[in-house]
Amino acid sequence: MVGAMEIYKLLPADACKECGYTSCMALAVALLNREKKLDDCPSLQNPKYADKFNKLKELLAPLEKASETGLIIHPEKCFGCGNCVVACPVNVAAEPTRCGIGLGPQGDKVILAVEDGVVKCMNVKECRRFGPNKIMCNACTVTCPSKAIEFV
Amino acid sequence: MVVCTGCSLLCEDIELALATGAISQVKNLCRKGHGHFQALFTERTMPKIDGQEVSVDQAIKKAADILRNAKHPLLYGWSNSTLEAQRVGIDLARKLGATIDDTMSFCRGILMERVLTGKLPTCTLDDVRNFADTSIFWGSDPSNSHPRHLSRFAYYPRGEKRQKSYEEERTCIVVDVRKSATAKLCSNYFRVPPGGDADFIASVIAVLDGKIPKYGDKKRMIELGTILRKTEYGAISPGLGLVSSIQDRIELLETLVAKLNEITTFKVVPMVEHYNTRGFNQLLLNDTGYLNSVSFHSGQVTHGPENSVIAAAKGCDAALVIGSDPLSSLPFGTAKCLARVPLIAIDPRRSLTTDAAKVVIPSAMYGLEAGGSAIRMDGVKIEFEPIVKSDLLSDEQILKRLKEEI
Amino acid sequence: MEAVVTVVTFRDIFQYEAEKKSRYSEDYRKLSAQIILDKQDMAGLGVKDSQNVLVKNDVGSIVVAVKTSEDDPHPGLAFMVNSPWSNQLVSDDVCTASIPGFKRISAQISPSGENVTQISELFQKMRGQGA
Repeated sequence: MVGAMEIYKLLPADACKECGYTSCMALAVALLNREKKLDDCPSLQNPKYADKFNKLKELLAPLEKASETGLIIHPEKCFGCGNCVVACPVNVAAEPTRCGIGLGPQGDKVILAVEDGVVKCMNVKECRRFGPNKIMCNACTVTCPSKAIEFV
Repeated sequence: MVVCTGCSLLCEDIELALATGAISQVKNLCRKGHGHFQALFTERTMPKIDGQEVSVDQAIKKAADILRNAKHPLLYGWSNSTLEAQRVGIDLARKLGATIDDTMSFCRGILMERVLTGKLPTCTLDDVRNFADTSIFWGSDPSNSHPRHLSRFAYYPRGEKRQKSYEEERTCIVVDVRKSATAKLCSNYFRVPPGGDADFIASVIAVLDGKIPKYGDKKRMIELGTILRKTEYGAISPGLGLVSSIQDRIELLETLVAKLNEITTFKVVPMVEHYNTRGFNQLLLNDTGYLNSVSFHSGQVTHGPENSVIAAAKGCDAALVIGSDPLSSLPFGTAKCLARVPLIAIDPRRSLTTDAAKVVIPSAMYGLEAGGSAIRMDGVKIEFEPIVKSDLLSDEQILKRLKEEI
Repeated sequence: MEAVVTVVTFRDIFQYEAEKKSRYSEDYRKLSAQIILDKQDMAGLGVKDSQNVLVKNDVGSIVVAVKTSEDDPHPGLAFMVNSPWSNQLVSDDVCTASIPGFKRISAQISPSGENVTQISELFQKMRGQGA
């Protein structure tokens, strides 16, 4: 996944503050968190930065597909192993006698489940990384054997 | 609920919805199981003699002819058949005076032999989930071979004595020649060169004895010794990688496990590939005293490497292959031998073996089109019913017909 | 340029899936007829990722594509998924620790201009037909 530094290197680095941030590094982080868009940087609209703009657009494209928690699933990499389904604390709390002990979920309050051989994400609002009181839970990503599930 | 017969975990929590010609939705099935279920719809076999389509009855009669007239028939496969079918198969072998062998004998059977005869202590996978605080995958990569192993049993789920699971209460150790997918997930990975397992075992025994290990990173080996000593209930799951490395010195593993059991509790759960490999071994062991590579020639029961498929393929004059594709999965020399004798293939799907076969008998896919029972890799018996209607005969039915014809 | 390597076979879930669709498919061949090599070994052989190499020993020979290893360095070790291609190199002497079948296969590798071996060619070899 792209990092803030990579984004910063492609920004004008003139700290013009038009976007509302005091430094281009701050804007880079905001772009990564999707709190700002590329169009929010007036300096970047200058034709002399066209190459950088296009490169930035390319780098930030995968983030478009991410859910509101920043979760991205790459189904073509997924083993369907269920590690994330069983490790997810929300899943375990919702179904302690199923996901809690390694079985597939039966209800619809879980956020991760394996369908047709690969993992699917649902009820994303229940995820601990969602909302203003979010915590950096990473149970699903550290238990994935193939980086099929990632956070931006 | 459906049982998946894709590997020897025999997962029972599969929810399946079918539409004509395809699976409309399936839940909880891993990618491997999903591939296995999809096989229901692709490249199904038709009854054939010499490449020409015939009726099932004709194919069975021809197969019976071939077997009846053979002096040294070989019956091979069995790991993808139910216990009921395997029983008939063993009877058939006895009746024919044939050699019978499974898909594991020549490289892995020795481990199962030690487990089934009690020389290596074992437990169930449910015990692993409930009690194991240390799981060791040695020469095995469950992420690719038994994808739900870690999430259902060995590392991630909560258990009776392991409520805090992988976060605080479980350690997963991988010993392997490469950084496999499982090695990337585990808490402690030890890289061993091919053939280096004997040295590694010697070093582990040394640290358990409080001595300086001769092989490997001393600090890491001592740390490993500490983890093992602190373990309350350990489970070692050896795969082909370990067994092929110490195959004729299996007592090295026995010594290590015995040493561990002087200090704490350690069990061995053998990793086997197909869903009913263990079932065949258990049945044959109960029947003849041997778990594989048995010959019933001249009414005697003999056992030995000369009866393993690798050797028997060279001397057989006809072969029945059931639920297996040895032309793809066995060494080239063996594939060549089998390809050149009158071959009878019983299989739901097309393979190199069915392509080379003189007689092809299509069979139902167990777990979907036919039911029965099987033994999971840990010895637990799992039963399953068919969920799809099919006119195809099951292995059990085909073998019974063959027995009648002969 | 030639190198001697130890080939170790392994299981791969994606190759298994391709086999369950069809053993005769291009996908299955792409995932099977492949040898994973250490970067250093590749440099020594003068081969790049996706180029073809001839892998041979006393048992048989195959032409497969090179894949760059993503593992920590392992010079002298090569990895192949268990398949009819890898089995061309596996001896049918009964497995012992000294002749360990699938897990320690000695083979020579050299760059090759040939196409990757087809499954039909492997099949013909088994039947004793063709070259």
